[in-house]
Amino acid sequence: MSKLRVVHYINQFFAQIGGEEMAHIPPEKRDGPIGPGLAFKAQFGDEAEIVATIICGDSYFNENLDTVTKTILEMVKEEQPDLFIAGPAFNAGRYGVACGSIAKVVQKSGIPSITGMYIENPGADMFKQDIYIISTKNNAAGMRSAVKDMAPLGLKLARNEKIGASIEEGYIPNGVRVNFFEKERGSQRAVKMLLQKLAGKEFVTEYPMPTFDRVEPQAPVEDITKAKIAIVTSGGIVPKGNPDRIESSSASKFGKYDIDGVNDLTAETYETAHGGYDPTYANKDADRVIPVDVLRQYEKEGRIGQLNRYFYSTVGNGTAVASAKKFGAEIAKDLISQNVSAVILTST
Amino acid sequence: MKYILITNNDSLLNSSYKNINVVYKNCSYIEVLLRVRAYIHKGHTILTHPLSSSLKPNETPFKSILISGSSKGATDAFSVDIIEQAIEAYKKFPQSNKSLNQKIIDDFKLVDKTVIESAILNNL
Amino acid sequence: MKLELGYINVKGVKFATENKFENGIVYVDELALKELLLKDSSLEDCNFDVAYPGESVRITPVKDVIEPRLKVEGPGGIFPGVISKLETVGSGKTHVLRGMAIVTAGKIVGFQEGIIDMSGPGADYTPFSQLINLVVVCKPAPMVEAHDYEEAVRLAGLKAANFVAEIAKDAVPDEVMAYETKGLIDSINEYPNLPRVAYVQMLQSQGLLHDTYVYGVDAKKIVPTILYPTEIFDGAIISGNCVSACDKNTTYHHQNNPVVTDLYAQHGKTINFVGVIITNENVYLADKVRSSDWTAKLAEFLQVDGVIISQEGFGNPDTDLILNCKKIEQKGIKTVIITDEYAGQDGKSQSLADADVLANAVVTGGNANQVITLPSMDKVIGTLKYVDKIAGSHAGSLADDGTIIAEIQVITGATNELGFNKLSAR
Repeated sequence: MSKLRVVHYINQFFAQIGGEEMAHIPPEKRDGPIGPGLAFKAQFGDEAEIVATIICGDSYFNENLDTVTKTILEMVKEEQPDLFIAGPAFNAGRYGVACGSIAKVVQKSGIPSITGMYIENPGADMFKQDIYIISTKNNAAGMRSAVKDMAPLGLKLARNEKIGASIEEGYIPNGVRVNFFEKERGSQRAVKMLLQKLAGKEFVTEYPMPTFDRVEPQAPVEDITKAKIAIVTSGGIVPKGNPDRIESSSASKFGKYDIDGVNDLTAETYETAHGGYDPTYANKDADRVIPVDVLRQYEKEGRIGQLNRYFYSTVGNGTAVASAKKFGAEIAKDLISQNVSAVILTST
Repeated sequence: MKYILITNNDSLLNSSYKNINVVYKNCSYIEVLLRVRAYIHKGHTILTHPLSSSLKPNETPFKSILISGSSKGATDAFSVDIIEQAIEAYKKFPQSNKSLNQKIIDDFKLVDKTVIESAILNNL
Repeated sequence: MKLELGYINVKGVKFATENKFENGIVYVDELALKELLLKDSSLEDCNFDVAYPGESVRITPVKDVIEPRLKVEGPGGIFPGVISKLETVGSGKTHVLRGMAIVTAGKIVGFQEGIIDMSGPGADYTPFSQLINLVVVCKPAPMVEAHDYEEAVRLAGLKAANFVAEIAKDAVPDEVMAYETKGLIDSINEYPNLPRVAYVQMLQSQGLLHDTYVYGVDAKKIVPTILYPTEIFDGAIISGNCVSACDKNTTYHHQNNPVVTDLYAQHGKTINFVGVIITNENVYLADKVRSSDWTAKLAEFLQVDGVIISQEGFGNPDTDLILNCKKIEQKGIKTVIITDEYAGQDGKSQSLADADVLANAVVTGGNANQVITLPSMDKVIGTLKYVDKIAGSHAGSLADDGTIIAEIQVITGATNELGFNKLSAR
């Protein structure tokens, strides 16, 4: 049987071209394995070979997302591979996002793809439901063990074999429940888990409850006619031209915008940066997403105390929960410093 | 009436239960859940579990759920949780293409009836 | 309370003209057993068959599985309040015919379920493929009402088990295990430094085909109470549950409750196992609130540090499980819960119908919606007539050659929520 053909994607650092100062380099393709590819070569033995390695700078990738994925996809396709491997990226954030992005695109084109990263890499949360991501250590010292898990799972994918449960294969749980046989029966596992829990030691649940991160509601606003109300939205409303360049998906930031003297959001002055819904109606009248016009009227009529001078906006479309949490904490801090007493949160 | 029994099981029409207004409609399992949800939104409280019986939502066509006879004004959060979880659970089962003969239909009706009666007869 | 279980290894079951036990073989007087069972006027007929591990045999539809046990010393008899006189059991000596079971099969209602394959891929999913099964196939008398017939088949299984157990009454056990639970104060005094642990067992209790009996009492009519763990070994809890084959607890599961066994294995070593709290899974929501309040109260009263909570069934009991877990955790008592999952055939749906962050230690018996192909078997005990009608199968599930494509929820005991199996999911 002939060897399976593999294309490998790595960044400038693992290609030993350079660190941050070389992160701007555009994608290039070289023959055979490079850097971590050598570890894969050893692990594959006679079963597969890395026919080409694609190298791209992390900054270049993330700043040219749309074009670079197309370019790299073409490079991959030319090799007619059976498998595409990206990384592993360990805990390198931009490299992780690059590996996840490109692996997802290549997989969608019909070529089985796999990557590896540390569980806290932002790319893990973003792409774990799209591709298999082997759970790795948080730095390159974990290369050997990462390759040991990535290579066999990659071969299984290439051969279209049945993929086992996350705990068997070593991938980050992707929300798909897969049955398998444990070594001990359930009651024994329960007793062991209880012993760990009683001793205050670490234990791992076999079924993590869906967490909705419930927030206890605040006490109601005592007197709404005296309240200072702010607007916070994930609907992407921004001043026309999107001055902060908030991304249309997977936002990496939020914006804070002054609406002092603004009584109505118009098609000429505001728009949405959101790429996850039909923007026509939001662009025509952004008050549909954040009701500045109505709140101004209420302010005038004395039905609310006042509308806060700033509103806060980000794009909820595919934004990682970890990022959203971070934005929320920063916004809350800012709101408190302005003595805001209530917030209207809108989504889309 | 103190209680309302929402059901699509006509075998419950033959019995008269004290304090219960039996509201029957010839409809699907999911429609029973949705009708109950509409009552809950209006302030009624759910009294029996919507996923009563271990029969799967795509297995038995019959469902009976007991709710309070009157609205308490505000929507009851626990009731909303329970009915929404049941509607979610319903959705994850592929819809059945089984054709059921009369005997099986009667058995499903019987189980639904006895399960709901286990709540009615022991408690009300 | 102290109980000795004497295990007698069974190597074969044969029909004969007289009862005897010889060299590990149980010889069953078929006619005498038939005569005993047919005393019940709800049964028109019954037939027997034996299935061995590894045979190309499919048993379906399975109602209950029972292990033959015999009280040889001490008060009461097996299945007290049901077919033995009502007396508290769990002490003295009990003999167990290990390696075999009585399986009751036959239609109760039109959608009867439960498959035991003795070989092939399905055999991996049911523990009963590892036993020599004496199958009792019942047929109802004309015009018998479903409730009465269910009861008749339930009792037939228990009677057959006690009948068979009696055959080996003079046998010498191959292995003896002793289990003891003392009164609470003595127990605390004996192991003052070990964490105290109780077991909260939830019993299916929703109505016809969904019932469990404790000393003959319908579990939906109980309030949570405390049992010595050894009472369960003597058949204090029996199954009247015919629905949801994969996660119903058969009488065999109760008799061999794995949580009780595994907690006993640690008793006096790493934990102090003080007792079992039993509770129910009623349909009426106020009952759920009351029962979960009481399990939490009893756990608190026992001053335990931790509990294991097991479940039975799908949907409705998820709410009881989460209520029990939450309220016990809120008392400052650590919990581990055992459940199974309905995550959809693709494994992507939410597994339970309820959830809470306090349920942070979960053991799962696997996803019941996993699809499996069960190749045809040379022999069927019971009938395949209902396979298309059972949960987790669909029209066309049964091919002409006897192959079944269905979810593993059709297999008896596949995703057991007592933790009886090794099947799990991630």
